[in-house]
Amino acid sequence: MRAVFPSLNPLPRMWHQLAVAGLLALSLAACATPPPADDPDAVADFKATNDPLEPTNRVFYAVNNGLDTVILRPAAQAYRFVVPGKVREGIHNMLSNLGTPVQLSNDMLEGKPRRAGDTTMRFLINTTVGVLGIFDVAKEWGYPNHDSDFGMTLASWGVPEGPFLFLPVLGPSDPRDAVGFGVDIVQDPFTWVGQGAAVTALGWSKFALSAVDARERVLDSLDQIKKTALDPYATFRSLYRQHRHAQIEALRNDNRATIPVWFPQQAGPTGNGP
Amino acid sequence: MLHRRQVLTLAAAAAAFTALPGVARVALAQAGSDRAVTFVKTTGDKLVGVVNGPGSAAEKRQALTQIIDQAVDVDGVGRFCLGRFWRTATPDQQKRYLALFHQVLVTSITAKLGEYQGVRFTISRSRSQDEDELVSTVVERPNNPPTNVDWVIANPNNAPKIIDVIAEGTSLRLTQRSDYASFLAHNNSSVDALISAMQQQIASAG
Repeated sequence: MRAVFPSLNPLPRMWHQLAVAGLLALSLAACATPPPADDPDAVADFKATNDPLEPTNRVFYAVNNGLDTVILRPAAQAYRFVVPGKVREGIHNMLSNLGTPVQLSNDMLEGKPRRAGDTTMRFLINTTVGVLGIFDVAKEWGYPNHDSDFGMTLASWGVPEGPFLFLPVLGPSDPRDAVGFGVDIVQDPFTWVGQGAAVTALGWSKFALSAVDARERVLDSLDQIKKTALDPYATFRSLYRQHRHAQIEALRNDNRATIPVWFPQQAGPTGNGP
Repeated sequence: MLHRRQVLTLAAAAAAFTALPGVARVALAQAGSDRAVTFVKTTGDKLVGVVNGPGSAAEKRQALTQIIDQAVDVDGVGRFCLGRFWRTATPDQQKRYLALFHQVLVTSITAKLGEYQGVRFTISRSRSQDEDELVSTVVERPNNPPTNVDWVIANPNNAPKIIDVIAEGTSLRLTQRSDYASFLAHNNSSVDALISAMQQQIASAG
């Protein structure tokens, strides 16, 4: 086995820095004061919000918001201004195609053979006919994309999400998704391939491009939320959770049978097995 | 012979009768679903027509407010968003809050459709959810990736009204409710503070 976390590889190093930041956060962690017990409605609200680290989370929200305002948002705006829409779409598809190994691994861990099949077909078709993933041909051919990450895998295994977390740089999360983020990096073959200056440069470029791409896609939505929300932090908290719940719900409800339609169907129910 | 036929007819009639409520329910649900789709189509066409049409921002907002007041159960959504604080608010506070909420909702829904020309939407399917009908659409805005937007329609058969807009799995009214709840939790549960914050918000977004 190769040395764990080769020092030239960008992502593990970034992960290491994040871990340090996380430890720092823990040592600084301040807890939200629960409302007085004689106000049962307020106590119920507090429990439903499930954000015991709210004061600390809000600090990181402010820090991230500052970083976003001076770095990421201007970069995303410049990207939108300079690069034509069709090209941005191609870049997004290519980045998404590079994510298929992790996606496939999670589809299998979630026990969803049809999703794993979709992912495999998407990778094969888009990498070849779709020219290294630039064109999403597979979608037209009946293999639509879906979300799949280790946070969702843990959810499908019955792991609860835990309290809300706002992480430095990474943004809204929870313990389950934070673990999922780390595991996805370890699962990603690109974390482990190659060494040297070129690989490092490529790794960082991919990381930066992914960040700018993701930010560009939500430019208008985030501007709108910050403009209209009375408490943007609480709004992002709610939006993040709802979005994750919807992704997990879609995963749970995707129980398409593995037997193809042209195959002689068995009498009786055709489930997709254990 | 005759006797036997009568018995058969009776049996068939009985079978039809017992099956009827089920059939009727399916038919009713189907009608509700069709009506909900038509309702979303007409309302969506109207909204998109205004957004893509000519006129100043103020004129457009005026037209959008009219459509939304007709198509959306604004008071119901407003009460939902205030949550448990609706009960503790005075009638005067409730009135002022709802008046402001109308404007907030216009801003939110317009934001979902985009404020610029070139918006398109396509209806994909409709399904029942409890008493309501959920109509799924894909909204395409220039410069933005396509968004899946579900419209929740209450009373699809008699008086259809939009009671929620769900964009990529995030419900507009749930999000709004948690925004207000958090604001109130940090402002001594004062509905007056919420009302003045809403006023400021509308003035600055105006």
